[in-house]
Amino acid sequence: MTNRWIVLMVLLPLLTGVLSTPIVARLRLSRVLGVVGLSATLIAGLLLLNNATSEQAGGILVSQMGGWAAPYGISLVFDTFSGLMLCAAAAVTLCGYVAALGTLDRTVERRYFHPLMHFMLAGVNLSFLTGDLFNLFVAFEIMLMASYGLLCLAGGEAQLRQAYKYVLLNLLASALFVIAAGLVYGMFGTLNLADLMRIVRETSEQGEALPTGFTAVSVVLLTVFGLKAAIFPLWFWLPDAYPTMPVPLLAVFGGVLTKVGVYVIARTFPPIFAAGEAAEVIVPILLTAAALTMVLGAIMAVAYRRLRAVLCMFVIVGVGFALAGVAVGGETGLAGAAFYMTQSMIVAALSFLVCGQIENRVGSDDIDDAGQFSWYRAAPWLAVVGFVLAMTLVGLPPLSGFYGKLWVVQAAFTGPDETPGHSVWWLGLAGLVAGTITLLAALRWWTGVFWLGREDQTEEPPATQPASTGPRSLTLAVALLLAASLWMGVAAEPVLALAKDAGTNLADPQRYITAVLQPETTEPSYASTHGTTTPANDQAHRASPSTPEHHAQDSTPPATHADDRFGPNHPIRLRGGH
Amino acid sequence: MTSLLFKTATRLILPLSLLFAAFMSFKGHNAPGGGFIGGLIASVALWLFAMAHGRDALIALVPVHPRVVVGFGLLIALATAALPLLWGYPLLHSFAIDNFLGLGLHLVTAFFFDFGVMLVVIGVSTGMIQRLSEEVPDESTGLEGDLA
Repeated sequence: MTNRWIVLMVLLPLLTGVLSTPIVARLRLSRVLGVVGLSATLIAGLLLLNNATSEQAGGILVSQMGGWAAPYGISLVFDTFSGLMLCAAAAVTLCGYVAALGTLDRTVERRYFHPLMHFMLAGVNLSFLTGDLFNLFVAFEIMLMASYGLLCLAGGEAQLRQAYKYVLLNLLASALFVIAAGLVYGMFGTLNLADLMRIVRETSEQGEALPTGFTAVSVVLLTVFGLKAAIFPLWFWLPDAYPTMPVPLLAVFGGVLTKVGVYVIARTFPPIFAAGEAAEVIVPILLTAAALTMVLGAIMAVAYRRLRAVLCMFVIVGVGFALAGVAVGGETGLAGAAFYMTQSMIVAALSFLVCGQIENRVGSDDIDDAGQFSWYRAAPWLAVVGFVLAMTLVGLPPLSGFYGKLWVVQAAFTGPDETPGHSVWWLGLAGLVAGTITLLAALRWWTGVFWLGREDQTEEPPATQPASTGPRSLTLAVALLLAASLWMGVAAEPVLALAKDAGTNLADPQRYITAVLQPETTEPSYASTHGTTTPANDQAHRASPSTPEHHAQDSTPPATHADDRFGPNHPIRLRGGH
Repeated sequence: MTSLLFKTATRLILPLSLLFAAFMSFKGHNAPGGGFIGGLIASVALWLFAMAHGRDALIALVPVHPRVVVGFGLLIALATAALPLLWGYPLLHSFAIDNFLGLGLHLVTAFFFDFGVMLVVIGVSTGMIQRLSEEVPDESTGLEGDLA
């Protein structure tokens, strides 16, 4: 189903960013503009998600940029999976932004904080929307450029050192990504994800071999996306780099950025890069990486003594659970991953903001320091919020962390297609073990901060300590995220239904392929009736401006070449002829 | 870098280079070139001018802050990309006028997108040059010593 408005998810943050660039020194104006822009993005996301689910066309909205048909132009695709991610990302960014307004230093805020935030959301949203591998690279770059700026915004020594490492690693990953994208284009003659899905599926259905080196390219891409997602061997930068940031930025980075990596793995690996022959190599890597990310991440969460680092490890454990769902595959596994990622974005951001409130009281994020503070006198409600948060991170039933983990572990035990031989029981076991260790880690930081205070701590806190948990905007952001998290736990049905649909779509890419490639508009008659390939040259455009809907479809450039080129029998045979 | 020959030459080269930049960005729709290339050529010309005549001369030549140029360019590009949405076309849709003003010019609306890109490139590169060639002797610059 064509819907040109899905591009608003990228356009609105981009426009807000552009408008806030010249007025960067006028803070009040920038703040109002920013809140309006981010709220508009969130509302647009929710409306589009509503529109996509009420659609009979499988809940997939597609827009072809410039009217160029799918394998040639850039497709943007909004399905339930990307919709869930987009809404959660917009909500988290809005809350992090609101929290930043009261928390950030004014000098820091003037260093292009507002435009960078909006540009980063534009990059993130484009990564979720895009249906094209090279465009995904562009989206990553937009996101990374902005994140480089945000990472060294406060400009301390530790922050700049970590930012240097982060920039270097990501530059390396970007170089690998663009090389791998070039290799994919050389192999298949297309970078459109739907077209790649179609080719890989048809090739393996005919029992033919995929191009030589396909598995190697898949491994390279897995390295790139794994670094962004912080999966097991590639996570080392995260607990170093992230805790140096101001808390509101930490919430947005920790909540959103790693999920972009997992999202891309979930979107591209099951139907393309872990399909066919590549499955023999990629799937074991994914399964092992997921198991190790979960278990080792949980153990590290027990080990750290600084709250920010502990919460960073919780983010990584979440990545492990989502990756486990993706690696097992099947409807249940992918649906579990989709739900877990949505929930984990919100809860991760919430956890960092609560950590910020604790820090504002205590003056450091050291768990032992925080334990010296008499919370029951000063802010008993924060202890309650902290407990709910800790239990959500662990995933105890009435709270939102439960459902995603349940589906993922269930899928691991039953196998992707519920055939007895395909069970990945050891991954399910790893998930349960990791869950138990995260319970230990969560109780450890919660009791360390709120419960095990020194017995003799009876006097009022010293006057040097800040008197509050932070500005009102931080409290508001925490309240909003907490409400969203509780809603997703107690009234999970709508989100669960969306996640179920997302899982179905991911497990069987046929609906995605059909929606993007749209065979009904690729009739072979186009080239003969129009005699041109450029929509800008099309006489019909100026002849009938009153019927835009009609010839917006009509003017779709000749996608028939896709079929000519790959032929009806061999999906990529005709590549050699070019 | 301040020899008379160099100064005189850049005075002549600058308008020629800017013309060439405009030419490149116009012809870029169906041929090599485009807004990005045009912007780079214009920036090189401005950079050369700044090398010969100093940073203050460049600021006198382009009196607006680079970030305003960047913002304006992005706004033009975004508006060109987004306006077709209002008439039922997808983002970035380009319309064509085959015989513009009876001059035989083939004008496409994508040109305005290219123009915006050109402004962004010029703004970013002149901003970087100004920033790199800047001397901050003390705190009295009014820039608060940050990245503003």
